[in-house]
Order: sequence, then C-alpha cells, then structure tokens
Amino acid sequence: MKAFEYATAHSTDSARQLVADKGAYIAGGNDLLGLLKEYLVEANILVNIKSLPGMNKIEHARSHWTIGALVTVAQIENDADIKKHFPGLREAAADVASQQIRNVATVGGNLAQHSRCWYFRHRDTQCLKKNGDLCFARNGENRYHSLFTGNTCISPVVSSLATIFAALDATAIVLREGKEIRLSMAEFYQRAWENPLSHNSLGQGDLIVRVEIPTARPRSAFMQVSDKHAFDWALVSCAAAAEVVDGKLKSPRVALGSISNVPHQVETANQFLDGKVLDDATATHAADLILKDAKPLEHNGYKVPMAHALIRRTLLKLKGDA
Amino acid sequence: MKNSEPENIGAHSRRTFFKSLGTVAATAATSQVRTIGAELEKINSEKIIGPGPVPVTLTVNGEKLKLMIEPRVTLLDALRNYSSLTGAKEGCDRATCGACTVLLGDTPIYSCQKLAIEAQGIEITTVEGLAKDKRLSKVQLAFIEKDALQCGYCTPGFVMSVTALLKKNFHPTADDVKHACAGNLCRCGCHPHILQAALKAAGVEHAAKTEVITYA
Repeated sequence: MKAFEYATAHSTDSARQLVADKGAYIAGGNDLLGLLKEYLVEANILVNIKSLPGMNKIEHARSHWTIGALVTVAQIENDADIKKHFPGLREAAADVASQQIRNVATVGGNLAQHSRCWYFRHRDTQCLKKNGDLCFARNGENRYHSLFTGNTCISPVVSSLATIFAALDATAIVLREGKEIRLSMAEFYQRAWENPLSHNSLGQGDLIVRVEIPTARPRSAFMQVSDKHAFDWALVSCAAAAEVVDGKLKSPRVALGSISNVPHQVETANQFLDGKVLDDATATHAADLILKDAKPLEHNGYKVPMAHALIRRTLLKLKGDA
Repeated sequence: MKNSEPENIGAHSRRTFFKSLGTVAATAATSQVRTIGAELEKINSEKIIGPGPVPVTLTVNGEKLKLMIEPRVTLLDALRNYSSLTGAKEGCDRATCGACTVLLGDTPIYSCQKLAIEAQGIEITTVEGLAKDKRLSKVQLAFIEKDALQCGYCTPGFVMSVTALLKKNFHPTADDVKHACAGNLCRCGCHPHILQAALKAAGVEHAAKTEVITYA
C-alpha cells in the first residue's frame, strides 16, 4: 500500500470535503484495502465514514424499511425481523463471504465493491477495465464471467445484496454533491453496463447513505451456487420476491447475480409471472425468458443450465408452506 | 517503501484549510462558548493525520500498546512487526485465509484487512490473551486433545473463530461451527478434527463420524 492521509468524518458534508478529488471513503475496508494493496486504486486520503450519524440502523416503516449504508452484513444476518419480513435478504447476507468479513463489511461497501475479474485484479494486467485496449477474459479464462454485457467487458457484478435488493425493488439513496439522488438497482449499476471502466454508477465523492426496501413483497428467497460450499463467490446467484395472494404471485421480481455486469433482470419474465400460480411449468418458462439472450463464452457455458435450475428452485421457494 | 507526499504549498490547500479551522473556531468561541466548543471538538476530531507516523493506542489482551505508526499500517502488522505479538499469523494478507483472525470486542475479524488506527478504543484479543494464569483456555485444550492441527499455522485463527462462536452460542451444532469457521483455511486438512475440538470445547461430544467426514 502507498502511504495515505487519514481522517474521520462526523458529517456527510465534511466527508465529501475531506475525500475531495483523490480520496476514498473507508467503512469496512475489505474491498478498498485489497485494492490499495494491489495498487489497483490510489487514494491520497482515506476518510473514515463509520462515525457518520444515523447510518448504522435498520428502521421500519409501514411501506418500506430503511437500511443504513453502514449496517454490517452480520447485522442483517442476525436481525430476527429481517429474517421474518425479508427472508431472501437474510439468506443473501448469510452467504456473503465469511464471519470475519460479514462482521465488518457494510451494505454500502457490498454494493460498491469492485470487479472480481482476475484480469482486473492482477496488478500487471492492463485490461479494458483499467484503461487498456483489451478484455483479456473474452479470449482467455472466462469461466467466472458474464453471459450478458452491454459493452466489451464481461466482468460480472458479484454483490449478493444487489441481487436480492433488485428482486425486492429496493432503492439506493446516494449523496451526490450535497443532494440525495435515488437509484434503483438497475440504475445503480447502469454505468457498468455501458462503460467498462465503471463498476457501478457512483462518481468520485458519491456516498451511499441508505437503502430503502418496499414491504410489498413479503415472500423472498435467495440461492447461490459456488465452487466451495461456503466463503466463495457465487458462480450464479438468484433472488426472487413477490407477494402471494390466493396462491397467485403478485408483483414478482427475479434477479440474477454473477452472470451480467448489472443484476440481471428481464421485465417480460416478471410480467409473465404476475398473477400466475407457481408450478414447475411456470418456473421453467420464466427461466427460459430470463436466459433467452444469454451469450456464453468458451468456458462459462455451464452457467446457463446452472442459472436455469437456480431460477426454478428459487422461484419455487417462494411457495413456502402456503 | 515510504512514499511520503510533499506538503501542499498553496495557501488554500485542503490540508491547511482543515488545519486552520481549529484556530478560527477558537476565536469565535469567545462569543458562543457552548456551541462553538462542541464544534471545535468535532473539527479537531476531523483533523487530517498522516501519511507519516502518528500516535496509535491499542488495547491488546488487557494492556495498552502505544505505537507510532503510519495510518496505512494494518492491525496485523502493528501486532506482529511493531509489538512482537506474533500469535496472529500472516497468510494471504487479503482477508481470505483466516490465519490473522483476532477478536475486536467479542467479534472475530481479519486483522490483515483492518487498519490499526481504526482498531483503537476497542479491546483486542489475540491468541496470546486466551490463557489465564498460565492455564490454556478450554478451546486451546480441546485443540490439543482432539489433535486438531498439524503444522499449526492456521491454529491461532481457528482458535479465535471458535472462541468467538462459543461466546455467543454455548451449544453450537456441527453446522454452526462450520459456518463460524468458513473463513479459516487449514492446508493440512485438519478440518474434521477442528470441528471435533470445537464441539468438545462446547461440551458437545460428537460421535457421528460420517457427519464429520462430510465437512464442507
């Protein structure tokens, strides 16, 4: 790591001022310190945001819940009310990394984390994501890479929380130049879809302050498949959420992680599922729709049937006991 | 190694701006002592420090550790290289292997991916702090009894993870232990014995060998 200055901010205004043009916010620090150690990002100052007031709370309202950006993944995993009202969110949180990481990793950091592509993470590789000319994964080792992309880079989004937040239709509230802007999960990652240099739509100095989750979908589920049983990135992850009224799905949403540079959502599949009774045939057709335009590469073709199975399983979990 | 940044020369650099705030606030404090006092305290705590060495006080195993270290020094390096507490091990240095696990309060964390400067004000426990009056903790004893190590490099990390689990879950199941220890790797392959040791330390004897073998 190169040397840096350090400061602790006590208000979002001073955090923004301190971080200025070349600084970075630090909360859990899991991703940031890894990037600094590999010289993949540079920061002349780290601004500790853990003392910002009111950002480490989970709050309930009737129409939506608010999760502060500094809430840790372990807090979500251990919150009995989350388990009851957003079971999919609890499942996603429990699958994130390891106990040691969940204890310090924050919701904001999980959403904002950078690409895990091994070409990007290799300090000697000047790939497309680092202003180079070439995506090495395209013709190289791409077993962990995307089936969908809006540009040449095929590095997938790996945030499990983003996947379940997308299914729950959550909104990230980001402080940009002193003003709050509201971004759906699709908008939060839109820039990664368009521009290989971006991991998400955040600009320098943008600060995630909280995530709002509507309570409209009391049934939710999250599943992932990894090489390792625990403490591993998902090869494919899937989240689904809906309300079930008289056995029929209402406002269902499905999202997938690790197969696109944004949480992969297909509106026609959500529309198809709306009002349907969940059974194998419905789930299978939804999975067909969601994966229709998949473009597998040399080594990641296995992700298509894997995602197909995962969509079906996750959807059928929504049936619960009823 | 050291990449110290040259001082900003401009009269209104960010650094001098923040440094001057304290003085401005102090002058203003004469008129509105109470509110400005609070402001002053806030501004001083927002002071920019580093990149050179700064005083850092850690509380490790009940003792105060006063160090002069750069803000970039990780807790693991502070323990091992600046104070001879070599119990926590450096494996990957990338929050992956778990050999560096220490407790921050009662919470296990990777000390390699935590800045020492951010570990101030909370009790830190390393493996050296577990034995009391020269008596090993029950987790340590269980590791010996169940032969839960070969080379021993991962052991301090596993011991800390199990210790943390048993602080909040007195009767863990095999799955609870696996979940709590998923962030620790043993390259010798001692996981089945480590699982037995954890259950032994919790007073849960574990007879079903098949379940031990399916350790995931």
